[in-house]
Amino acid sequence: MTQKHHKTPEYHVASLVASPILAQLDEVKAVITAVEGAEIHAVSDEGKIVFTVEGTGFKDLDKKIDIIRVHKGILNVSPVYHQVLDESGDDNAEEQYSEVTTKKE
Amino acid sequence: MTINRREFIKANAIAAAAAVAGVSVPAVASNLITSSDITKLKWDKAACRFCGTGCSVNVGVMDGKVVATHGDIKSPVNKGLSCVKGYFLSKIMYGKDRLTTPLLRMTNGKYDKEGEFTPISWDQAFNVMAEKANDALKKDGPEALGMFGSGQWTVQEGYAAVKLMKAGFRTNNIDPNARHCMASAVGGFMRTFGIDEPMGCYDDLEAADAFVLWGSNMAEMHPILWTRLTDRRLSAPHVKVAVLSTFEHRSFDLADNGMIFTPQTDLAILNYIANYIIQTGRVNKDFVSKHTNFRLGETDIGYGLRPEHPLEQKAKNNGKTKGSSTPIDFDEYAKFVSTYTVESVSKLSGVPEHKLKELAEMYADPKIKVTSFWTMGFNQHTRGVWANNLVYNIHLLTGKISTPGNSPFSLTGQPSACGTAREVGTFSHRLPADMVVKNPKHRAIAEKIWDLPEGTIPAKPGYHAVLQNRMLKDGKLNFYWVQCNNNMQAAANINEEAYPGYRNPKNFIVVSDPYPTVTAQAADLILPTAMWVEKEGMYGNAERRTQSWYQMVEAPEGAKSDMWQVVEFSKRFKVEDVWPEELIAKKPEVRGKTLFDVLYKDASVGKFPLSEIPEDRLNDESRDFGFYIQKGLFEEYASFGRGHAHDLAPYDRYHQERGLRWPVVDGKETKWRFKEGSDPYVKPGSDWDFYGHKDGRARIFALPYEPAAESPDEEYDLWLSTGRVLEHWHSGSMTQRVPELYKAMPDALVYMHPDDAKKRNMRRGDLVKLISRRGEVQTRVETRGRNKPPIGLVYMPWFDASRLVNKVTLDATDPLSKETDYKKCAIKIVKV
Repeated sequence: MTQKHHKTPEYHVASLVASPILAQLDEVKAVITAVEGAEIHAVSDEGKIVFTVEGTGFKDLDKKIDIIRVHKGILNVSPVYHQVLDESGDDNAEEQYSEVTTKKE
Repeated sequence: MTINRREFIKANAIAAAAAVAGVSVPAVASNLITSSDITKLKWDKAACRFCGTGCSVNVGVMDGKVVATHGDIKSPVNKGLSCVKGYFLSKIMYGKDRLTTPLLRMTNGKYDKEGEFTPISWDQAFNVMAEKANDALKKDGPEALGMFGSGQWTVQEGYAAVKLMKAGFRTNNIDPNARHCMASAVGGFMRTFGIDEPMGCYDDLEAADAFVLWGSNMAEMHPILWTRLTDRRLSAPHVKVAVLSTFEHRSFDLADNGMIFTPQTDLAILNYIANYIIQTGRVNKDFVSKHTNFRLGETDIGYGLRPEHPLEQKAKNNGKTKGSSTPIDFDEYAKFVSTYTVESVSKLSGVPEHKLKELAEMYADPKIKVTSFWTMGFNQHTRGVWANNLVYNIHLLTGKISTPGNSPFSLTGQPSACGTAREVGTFSHRLPADMVVKNPKHRAIAEKIWDLPEGTIPAKPGYHAVLQNRMLKDGKLNFYWVQCNNNMQAAANINEEAYPGYRNPKNFIVVSDPYPTVTAQAADLILPTAMWVEKEGMYGNAERRTQSWYQMVEAPEGAKSDMWQVVEFSKRFKVEDVWPEELIAKKPEVRGKTLFDVLYKDASVGKFPLSEIPEDRLNDESRDFGFYIQKGLFEEYASFGRGHAHDLAPYDRYHQERGLRWPVVDGKETKWRFKEGSDPYVKPGSDWDFYGHKDGRARIFALPYEPAAESPDEEYDLWLSTGRVLEHWHSGSMTQRVPELYKAMPDALVYMHPDDAKKRNMRRGDLVKLISRRGEVQTRVETRGRNKPPIGLVYMPWFDASRLVNKVTLDATDPLSKETDYKKCAIKIVKV
């Protein structure tokens, strides 16, 4: 007999910085926004794209990031931040908040 | 409300990435940061567990578990970034098959080499280990004992192990897996400069006008440094990138000059560049005359194979003189390299002449600041030390060294190949701070610091990594302890050497690991090991940066750190068990004491009280031993290098910093060594001072191209090169446990040129056999994808435990560094 597998409802968010080949900036931006749960928040003067990817699990997130990462117009994708939110119960959800460690000292 | 929580963490994530990219985003996060909702998540800094780049990561702990990591914005190395491996750091400790109890091969309740792995207690484990070690000692003396360690050991773990082996058991048979990756780099540094490790630092990345990658796929292997290089290339349009490799890989995407060369011909290309610099009159004569001298090196030095191998029989100078050299002058050197013309080298290497010229001109032009990077393409090479020497030649001829942007830079693969394997001296011939066992003065210094009688440390270098496997097979090495590596997967030619060695009935093999790796499964006793932030430790990265971290979580119950295992084991031996009477007579007060007392507790290692550990900090080992052992081990070790150009800061300071680059003198780190103004050890008025050599001069070596140990022929008609891929770090024992990584790159494929596949009637996805003279391995064909080999060469990564490519590779080594050449052997491929 197999045990019923309980899946914890999780919310994942990751932020990343992508360095595109500048000539392909618009194409790369289109690729990112085409991925479900991905959102561009800023593009630096040098063309670096700040974006987030939201998903329901590590696998989901990884799959989405991979679509972007292997694109030919991208030289580099660097993950910066990742957090999991356990949404199985609201009781302890307050404890999931993360301190922003990038705050200047 | 859930939606608010989501918004909150998303805003934090955006703010972090924006800070890293240096852009501003609408200030959604700033007000939330001070919110009172913050958190049971406790953040702390640690060095990344993976490669030699030495990124700093912030580790988030909740309820005793690591639940988050992110790039440390305060780190000068990664400046807030992380790579795909670092991204999943929090999960490496929580694989389902994590080991939590010692396992001994047993039948009917007793140890049996052919028995099944059976859980036992730590006490039982140490009993059987002590019995086996004592048996080996009594029968054949200290040389029957050996240890294989790691560039992933923390500084303290490596130091504790060296002391136990070299001073306690009095055997030099300890070697790290760094032998497989950095030994040639070490040999190159020692030969050219007389002192180990790069003179430059990562700051060169923002200062150079040109980058040359020699046998290094930085885009996949050192992604964070690649990001910095990419940034430099894109923000300064004059910057050029040249990439050399035996196959096309991801780093070629950014290359202005990408070059595919026939394996081994890098030696000829390096000599051609030197020749070009001379022929075009661009030698920096002032620099060369003041700071260098020239040597002609011994040639025809063999391939580090067993002495009976035909290649060794044929080699003329594979004996003691193989590393020797004689002085020559500039004209003799110029004549030596003059045969390396663009025509001859283009023909030999397969690189078009105009590409070679463009590369040589980059080095020759006095206005271009050049940084050269290399990793395993140079080091895993039967002439690896030479390749290192030859690239230094180019930087020395032009004086492009030790100033910002001018930097011959050897990158490392492991997090502490520099900090532990090299600086601590866990090699079979070494002692801390670049000292060697065969030098009586060096032994005397070590014995004085360790407060041990003269003659404790044996003078003869021990068995190096490859020799250890051969000696296990030959039954000469009988008690063998492997920590923090997966050598049954990583060593070359495991079919003929390693596996028969581990399973030799004369031998007792202990493997310490967090997971049941291939190596652990070939052992007789497996010890479950604590990892990364389950213990306090230090790593030293490729730019001489030493970093520390505190223990942040408890290890799973039953798992113990490598250092705890070594030190606890030392309690099982009385000095009389292991030292001869005449040695004890020189220091009678050690009589009756244990090795734990003599080497650790009563030595300077034991002098820091538990009260020095911050009260809110975990530190399982120290609280167990009764003193602040990580600090004691570090401070004793650091005393070797202070005042000798290897100065390290006081231990406590490392807990405050994101690492410091040694030598740290008067509280200040050193960015560029050997240059007046940036290195306090340089003699005033000398401008440059290569003080590793007594005359203050670096050596320029005349060394030729010599062929590889094995090249394709009619029967075995393809070159095989092996290596890593981005998603998997080394043998994959950690990363293959992260499902996301496993999914991205599940099996090691053989990458081949479509024409080579067609010629053999093969298609993408076909099941094939790779066959060499030594063994065979099955895999599937990949003709597309990120690695594009030229016709005549195939590439296969080695992370996959189910497809052990090292059954096929040749255990030829550089005769000087004893490092295996994993990049070249001859194979054939047939359809299954």
